[in-house]
Amino acid sequence: MKKTVAAAAAVMLALAGCSSSDGDAKPDAANSSITIFNGANGTIVENWNPFSPTQLQPTNGTMHEALFWYNVASEAPPQPMLGTAYQWNADGTELTITTREGVTWNDGKPFSAKDVAFTFDLIRRTKAINATGLDLKSSVAKDDKTAVLTFGTKSFTDEASIIGHTPIVPEHVWSAIDDPAKTINPNPVGTGPYKLKSFSSQSYVLEKNPSYWQPGKPQIQNVRYISLATADAASAALTAGQVDWMSSFLPGLDQLLKNHKDLSYVNTPVLTASIFTCSSTAYGCSGPQTDTAVRQAIYHALNRDQLNKLAGGGYAGVASPTLLLPERDKKWITDPTQVTVPGTPDVAKANQILDAAGWAKGGDGIRAKDGQRLSLTIQTVTGWSDFISLNDAMGQQLKEAGIELKPTQLSWNEWNNNQVQGRYQLSLDSIGLGANSNPYHTYQAKYATVTTAKVGEAAQTSGNFARYSNPVVDAALDIAGGTNDEAAQKEQYTIIQKEIVRDLPYIPIYVNSLLTEFNTSRATGWPTNDNKYALPASWKIWDNGIVLANLQPAK
Amino acid sequence: MRHLIRKLGFYVVALWAALTVNFAIPRMMPGDPVEIMLSKMGQKGPVTAETRKAIEALLGADSSRSLLAQYGDYLAGLARGDLGVSLVFFPAPVSTIIGQTLPWTIGLIGLATVISFLTGVGLGTVAGWKRGSWTDNLIPVTTMFQSVPYFWLALILLFVLGSVWPVFPLNGGYDVYNVTPGWNGPFLGSVLYYGTLPALTIIISSIGGWMLGMRNMMVATLSEDYMITAEAKGLRPRKIMIRYAARNAILPSVSGFAISLGFVVAGSIVTEAVFSYPGIGSALLQAVGGNDYALMQGIFLIITLSVLGANLLVDLLYSVVDPRIRTAP
Repeated sequence: MKKTVAAAAAVMLALAGCSSSDGDAKPDAANSSITIFNGANGTIVENWNPFSPTQLQPTNGTMHEALFWYNVASEAPPQPMLGTAYQWNADGTELTITTREGVTWNDGKPFSAKDVAFTFDLIRRTKAINATGLDLKSSVAKDDKTAVLTFGTKSFTDEASIIGHTPIVPEHVWSAIDDPAKTINPNPVGTGPYKLKSFSSQSYVLEKNPSYWQPGKPQIQNVRYISLATADAASAALTAGQVDWMSSFLPGLDQLLKNHKDLSYVNTPVLTASIFTCSSTAYGCSGPQTDTAVRQAIYHALNRDQLNKLAGGGYAGVASPTLLLPERDKKWITDPTQVTVPGTPDVAKANQILDAAGWAKGGDGIRAKDGQRLSLTIQTVTGWSDFISLNDAMGQQLKEAGIELKPTQLSWNEWNNNQVQGRYQLSLDSIGLGANSNPYHTYQAKYATVTTAKVGEAAQTSGNFARYSNPVVDAALDIAGGTNDEAAQKEQYTIIQKEIVRDLPYIPIYVNSLLTEFNTSRATGWPTNDNKYALPASWKIWDNGIVLANLQPAK
Repeated sequence: MRHLIRKLGFYVVALWAALTVNFAIPRMMPGDPVEIMLSKMGQKGPVTAETRKAIEALLGADSSRSLLAQYGDYLAGLARGDLGVSLVFFPAPVSTIIGQTLPWTIGLIGLATVISFLTGVGLGTVAGWKRGSWTDNLIPVTTMFQSVPYFWLALILLFVLGSVWPVFPLNGGYDVYNVTPGWNGPFLGSVLYYGTLPALTIIISSIGGWMLGMRNMMVATLSEDYMITAEAKGLRPRKIMIRYAARNAILPSVSGFAISLGFVVAGSIVTEAVFSYPGIGSALLQAVGGNDYALMQGIFLIITLSVLGANLLVDLLYSVVDPRIRTAP
């Protein structure tokens, strides 16, 4: 019995070896091909509409391009794509854009400023695709390379959305589309480095755009996207050499790479893991975390070096109490003592703060004040294993300062709903990406009164879940949003940073690792830890087009 | 005839009750669909307060409509065969998603269930007929596989046969690199090859029950008086085994089979998750993750219909296999 099984296995092995031989074939430019896993799971439904929230990820960046591109992985000015220059008038109500010459759409028709004017006019006319709520009054092309947008209100703060996050579509195709919000745009026409080749519900292939406006790019002929159900399936596919580019946290990554010479990775931490606190009693929050002293004590009592080892796998970056990124946003952080959070705990200081605030230690080692125990529940999502270990480790660490932490795990929907509605005490989450690296986007979303709501009402999405409201911060944000002078903005950010570092409605822990794995046997030229020319995450829009255009077939 | 009409009447009432439950359950989940779509967008890039207005305008989400009015729309839509538009896969209609995923699930899980039933019942018949033969030894082995948690068994088999000895592929429904979907030989071959391991895990984990049940019923039936009569008449043993013993012993298994056929659609979630198989179970998972009421209702409807349909079929089949049912008052 055993023998036959072994024999059958041997035969099958030989067969499997034959059928997978195409993966090992010597790559050359004409039929070079790579495979990307961008997080898609289950069945894939076709949608190449660059304005749709359910678009397939390569739609923007790889097929359609914007006027400029922001690299959020490093501090850099916007890089010209379809636009070459832009100029605001003094009031911030008129934006003049100079467009690139010599660009063609992938159906052969020439691109001009008229397409840019058409795109913004389409957005003005169609409420359902105006995702950033641009207050456009008109959008006209003065000549073939100049487009002028006028706005009803001062629109400096929308700059990144306009030039960096609006896909430009061809007038000759989209003028015939009846409902631009609901089309799935089955034959996408864009200016990007790749165009659609074939689609099925489990995989789709893009092929190189031979008339791409950047000379000599792209070089890889075909790019295939696949769907996998779980992280286990993804890591198995990576080590089997079936996937060339993916982003997921793989435990024991260094060991894994030691055994596979072709694999490499890059770590680009940009999302700050923080304890979100429901901080304001005026907005209906209840519990000990509404006391600023408690939040400060938690901030000082955390042993972040240990947390990085236990939960972050050692890959996490150091956070900043200003909620910016210490490395990238150096120029925006004024107080040199607030650039980074401490790695080691200062329990004595935490105890001192709590003693001063009247929280006295009880018999069980947990503090109490006016009959209220210093016990907090912290919520996170079932299956987010790194955050679950964070909660457990923090519970141990905070006990030394007399704070009890009770972790709960919820489904994503419930966890998210609690944050939006403010029905939580502490919640573990990450600070998302802004439209560009200007701190305005983070500060406006997370600390402004207009982005929050009373407990029980929905706060703005990715908004001020902490229910933080501070007139000083609001006033500073108003001034910073009304100018595009960086020196004037920095002055206001200094005021904001002073307030939020004291009040700590979000208690930063560390900057989550963002690991992206590559296979270098078929393509080279991936971003590296030394050269982060784009945010390499395989699920990112815009940046993926930049990375794909820069790849070369492996020699 | 009266028997048939009464049965059909019962099924209509059951269908209505199931449809109402399908409508109610998704709406008890926390969160609302617009919010979830926005939050998922927020993880990939910036969203603002105005994004919400854009999405609401896009989805036509009108939260002011009363539940009763929504229920009316839902039943009216169903009567027209309109299942609505999916939110997770907006703007694709629910029927497209179901049409895209259902064949995979029915093909894989349906075939595996039928194979498992036929093999299990066949082996059980032999085991009951010839007690003490080698087939009896299969029973402890197969029941052990059935008692092992399915997801664990599937993962182990995938690890051993996909990773350690790469005999079978690791994931997917067909070889996306080398074949194009359609009615062509290489594609069908690839589908069979990719479906073998998932089907094998289902068969291994379910065959024990069929076999044990059938064997025990065979043993009970063999002690009946009419078996002795049949033997006394001098009928051939083969005829006794199949026409006299197995035909009577199979009745409980048939109703069990109906229930498992009904759950073909519902029971596929774990299999599809482990093998990254592109069926309806993974679509249901995504629908639940995005509070996609329309898609959930659509898939629940399919599950309901398949359970009711399978039961109806077996009710009818029963009266063929067992004539006593037809004449019962």
